[in-house]
Amino acid sequence: MKQNLLTSAVRSIRYSVKDSVYQVIIVALLSAIITGSLFTGYSVRSSLRKTSAEKLGMTDIIVSSGLRYFDASLSRRIEAATGEKAVSLLESDGYSQNFKSGSSVLNIKIYGVGKDFFAFNDNDTISVKPGFVAVNSKLATRLGIFQGDEIIVHLRQVDPIPSNAPFATSKISNGSRVMKVGRILNSSESGNFSTGVNQVIPMNIFMNTRDFEESDIKASKANRILIRNIAKRSLTEFQKIISGLLKPSDIGLSLRRSQKTGEAEMISDRIFIDSEIVSEVEKIVPTVAPVITYLANSLTINGKSAPYSFVAALPQSLLPDLSDGGIIINRWLADDIGGKPGDTLTLKWFDTGFNNLLKEKSMQFIVRKIIENDSKWCDPSLMPDFPGISGSTTCSGWDAGIPIIIDRIRKKDEAYWNDFRGTPKAYISYNTGKEIWGNNFGPATSLRFPPYMQVDQIAEKLRGSFNVAKSGFTVSDARLSSEKAADESVDFSTLFLGLGLFIIISCLILLVLSIGMFFDSRKKQVKTLYYLGFRNSYIRLQLFIESALLSFSGALTGAFAGYLINRIIITELNSVWSGAVQTNTLSPDFSFIPILIGFPVTLLIASMVILIMLRTFLKRLSEPETGASGVPSAGKNLFFLILAGAASVLTLVLSSIFERHSMILAFTGGSFLFAALILMLRFYYLKRVKVNDSDHLSLKSLVDKYFSFHPGQAITPAILIAAGIFAVIITGANKRVIGPKDMLESGGTGGYLLFAETALPVRTNLNSIEGKLEMGLDEPEFNDLIIEQAPRLSGDDASCLNLNHVSAPPLLGIDQEHFIERGSFSFASKIKSYSGKNPWNMLAASTNNNTIYGIADQSVLEWGLKLKTGDTLKYKSESGRELNIVICAGLKPSLFQGYLLIGKKNLEKNFPSIAGGSIFLIDGKPERLQEYKETLTERLSGYGCSVIDSGEKLASFFSVTNTYLDVFTILGIFGIVLGVAGLGFVLLRNFNRRKNEFALMLASGFSLQKIRSIILRDNAIILVWGAVTGLLSALAATLPSLKSGNAMPWGSLALLITALVATGTIALFLALSNIKSRSLVTNLRIE
Amino acid sequence: MLRLTGISKSFLQRGIVLDNLNLEVGEGDSIAITGPSGSGKTTLMNIIGLLDRPDSGDIVFRDKSILGYSAGDSAIYRNLNIGFVFQDHLLMPYLTVKENIMLPLFAQKITDDEYSVKEVFAEMLMSKTGIDSLKDKYPFHISGGEAQRVSLVRALINKPSVLLADEPTGSLDAANASLLGDILVQMNKDMGISLLVTTHSLELASKLKLHLKLENGKLKP
Repeated sequence: MKQNLLTSAVRSIRYSVKDSVYQVIIVALLSAIITGSLFTGYSVRSSLRKTSAEKLGMTDIIVSSGLRYFDASLSRRIEAATGEKAVSLLESDGYSQNFKSGSSVLNIKIYGVGKDFFAFNDNDTISVKPGFVAVNSKLATRLGIFQGDEIIVHLRQVDPIPSNAPFATSKISNGSRVMKVGRILNSSESGNFSTGVNQVIPMNIFMNTRDFEESDIKASKANRILIRNIAKRSLTEFQKIISGLLKPSDIGLSLRRSQKTGEAEMISDRIFIDSEIVSEVEKIVPTVAPVITYLANSLTINGKSAPYSFVAALPQSLLPDLSDGGIIINRWLADDIGGKPGDTLTLKWFDTGFNNLLKEKSMQFIVRKIIENDSKWCDPSLMPDFPGISGSTTCSGWDAGIPIIIDRIRKKDEAYWNDFRGTPKAYISYNTGKEIWGNNFGPATSLRFPPYMQVDQIAEKLRGSFNVAKSGFTVSDARLSSEKAADESVDFSTLFLGLGLFIIISCLILLVLSIGMFFDSRKKQVKTLYYLGFRNSYIRLQLFIESALLSFSGALTGAFAGYLINRIIITELNSVWSGAVQTNTLSPDFSFIPILIGFPVTLLIASMVILIMLRTFLKRLSEPETGASGVPSAGKNLFFLILAGAASVLTLVLSSIFERHSMILAFTGGSFLFAALILMLRFYYLKRVKVNDSDHLSLKSLVDKYFSFHPGQAITPAILIAAGIFAVIITGANKRVIGPKDMLESGGTGGYLLFAETALPVRTNLNSIEGKLEMGLDEPEFNDLIIEQAPRLSGDDASCLNLNHVSAPPLLGIDQEHFIERGSFSFASKIKSYSGKNPWNMLAASTNNNTIYGIADQSVLEWGLKLKTGDTLKYKSESGRELNIVICAGLKPSLFQGYLLIGKKNLEKNFPSIAGGSIFLIDGKPERLQEYKETLTERLSGYGCSVIDSGEKLASFFSVTNTYLDVFTILGIFGIVLGVAGLGFVLLRNFNRRKNEFALMLASGFSLQKIRSIILRDNAIILVWGAVTGLLSALAATLPSLKSGNAMPWGSLALLITALVATGTIALFLALSNIKSRSLVTNLRIE
Repeated sequence: MLRLTGISKSFLQRGIVLDNLNLEVGEGDSIAITGPSGSGKTTLMNIIGLLDRPDSGDIVFRDKSILGYSAGDSAIYRNLNIGFVFQDHLLMPYLTVKENIMLPLFAQKITDDEYSVKEVFAEMLMSKTGIDSLKDKYPFHISGGEAQRVSLVRALINKPSVLLADEPTGSLDAANASLLGDILVQMNKDMGISLLVTTHSLELASKLKLHLKLENGKLKP
């Protein structure tokens, strides 16, 4: 058969199978690691997509009204208009308790659904009857409940009137009821339904919408609509369709006619009407007149006061005689307090703030006019429909959400209430009223239309005129968003390629060694081909084809083996490494894509190594042997050794002096020590080049001389071993544990002792005397208790606990003044344009109405949000206004991981319905920590409260990083073990090169045992020196970390040393077992 | 001194190489063994040096059968009684000439005094073989002829009873081959070492007292 390059290569490989098999195994391992990492990345993303799809069910589009409610019938109209299935539901936060055991689970989602919800998700047979709930399996497991058991459901008050709105009733805003578990739902039964972006399975309760009635909301209300999108309409199309369908009643607006004036007016079930709505209506009906009516604490003229009276602010179009600074009073009031035109009237009212902070304000007006009690302006419908006031039969029975001093209410006041109800006693200009009473909830309590406009006419005119966004709706493509979040999630391919770096490096080193050995075994063949006149290019090609064929088979085998690696990694991620992924639902998915990438990449890497090695090999073959002049200078080595040693000592000493820079200095010092110890080993060999006549020769000095000529062969394995140990220890020492620095004000806890979170917001101001009294925190031992209350707007967790890419993290409203005062937390970065001292100050600033500043943990910015300082995150305010949050600074790791922090006032302004704080930072006397913890847990139990040590909370965020470091350590150890196995390769190669020498020694009377012991000693020195170098330099480099309380991973270290010694010993003995007298004797003769 | 009786050796691929071979080497003998390639010359040398074992037969050295020696005893036997010279000088490239010569001393324990005596002896041998000026040079600095003389001195450093030279001039030019042959004969005379040389060179063979031919596994005059 005619020979060609390929058949020659195959026959050559078949002849030397033993030399070839190493290369195949190593390339297969490299390919398996690369492909396995790619498989893992693919599997994680695929699992995230599956989890998201499972959570969404059949939902494609979500219409959300955020914190507000709308008419549930809107979904039916959308269904009719689009032909797509649509369903309304109520979503609320809450927590739940097992009625029998009392055990509770916080942070659950409660959905008010009808049968249509399950039908929407193709589960026609499932329904939740009134009085029953369906819970998902995860919650059932956590609560320890079964079908038929009873649970207590605590849910956030579903009320159109935000509980912190002016004159909202003071009743508890959270409801709770005992419900029977009718069904436990699994994932295929929509049990894990969620609109959020997170791989963690949620805990859900599904209630019948009728059961929400008890919480003062009609069953016809909803806050979410789920829509299928089979026709693949765009979001814009949906927005247009919904805009066309919107009626005022959908967004809580209603029209009525004033009995007194005959004018039609629009009122809101939220009492105040959003400025956006006011503007929209003004655009459609320019003649509309906004009115704001407010409850005054007192109206006083010359010391005579009338308490608790309504005052209306009207535009001149309604009451032409009104001007700024002037007030018109009715006859009743004029008679009561003796007012007459020209008198100065003092108006006092309560300005309501967050957490029921009431501040009494006053303003003086000049009485311009007195109107009669039966005039058209004395209209009782000017008083908004305050829920705690409107239905009351007496003034003293009002629940106005403000402290009413009953003693001040006179008989005549009750009589006025009976005769005129809430008819305003005084009138000021709308501009003034808007200025002093306009608030985050809106600038008007009603909109009055001209008398000629009929209610039906107005309703028709307004139908379809409301912009979806400006009406407070958000329409989003939930499926696309969740898929995007999964696709842009943490890239586990890159992550595991990084974590497996040592294995890859070790494989590459082993590959270099095995290819080198393979070429060495071809030396004679190559020389023969040279002598026979073959061209270099032919020889190069033949050797390349041989090696490439081996690499091809290795890469292909490894690519498929990568799937097995993937299975192992996914199993570990679901179990022992679950700290990194916070779930156990990942599945090892198969796809040809990782193989189609991993296989060629490995082949390319192997081919590059082959080409480089081939070039060196052929070059070396054609060169004469180098002489002693080629041996590096021991003197120069000594110089660098002294230099590295001195630098090491200096930097290590400096690290103990300059504590602030101790970490970096110690790391530098450790690195110099590493270099010094390696140079020391090199020097040990180099100084043996020249043995003086006067020196007594010894066997040791003679055999050491081999490495003095080839120092690289000794220090390469030593560097490999040392670098591996160094990296593993450094990695291990970087495992974050809570140290004293974290507990300082400037640390990650901000100096706070405790971190608390409630499932339901707490309206009460826990720092005020009234609040402390209400919560029973007014005892002396709580005098030093400081509680920072931060309101929270729900969003997708942006901490490292969420693998998905998040674009709308939860917002926390922060009172920055306290942090500035305490010097709490530290910054890792800040916006360039900010020249001030403390970036917390920026939270109070705003560039314009729609732009505010935000702060987040630097790690959240980089990994969760993929943003940097100066970037902008876009939100929609509660009323549908664009809200741009410019990232002005990044915090060092803190308790706020996962949140975007904005100023509390900005949060109130843009999301006024958030009624209370949900996140609490607590400080006080450290010795009372346990007492604080127990008391707060008990006093806030009604809100679903969990209180933990702030250090513990901070540590929970380190779990992800620490798990990754564990993975890196384990894979690093595996890499080092492979590296040490490389020592066996070095030995085999050395042995092959030195066969003649050993044969001569054998002939000269050296026993085989002695020859082996010489080799063993040499290589054991390298192994031990490598280990000592790595260990000592790493300990020096991590000294400050160890001092600061970071735990050295002694377990991993012991495992590493054991694995190192075991592998080293096995590698050495396997290599030595190849040294046999018969194979040596054949080298004594040139055939 | 050395007697080989009924030595036979065969290899799977080559068949019978030595066939009931007998040889007696006395003190100070010098024997040249010639024969075609593959006739078993090297095998015979390796068997005498206990680097290989015969299939049958016996070897008696100074009235003691040595074939039953352990690996350790074999090494001591080689180190103290046998000197090897090969076609390739097999010098350690990273040792100087002197270090190469002294290497066999370290196969066994050696005291300082013994070492000093050997050093003087080595100087003397180097001087006799004309390589005393090369002692601090490395193998890659010297010629092939010089290297082969170094390997000869290395073989003699332990004052062996028998010097086994396997094709010692095979890689040398005529002048160097002749010079080495003369030195070998001279050493045989001066030191009384028994000399057993395998060679293709009839010139070298003619310089020795006895010339035997190895044919069909047997030695013939």
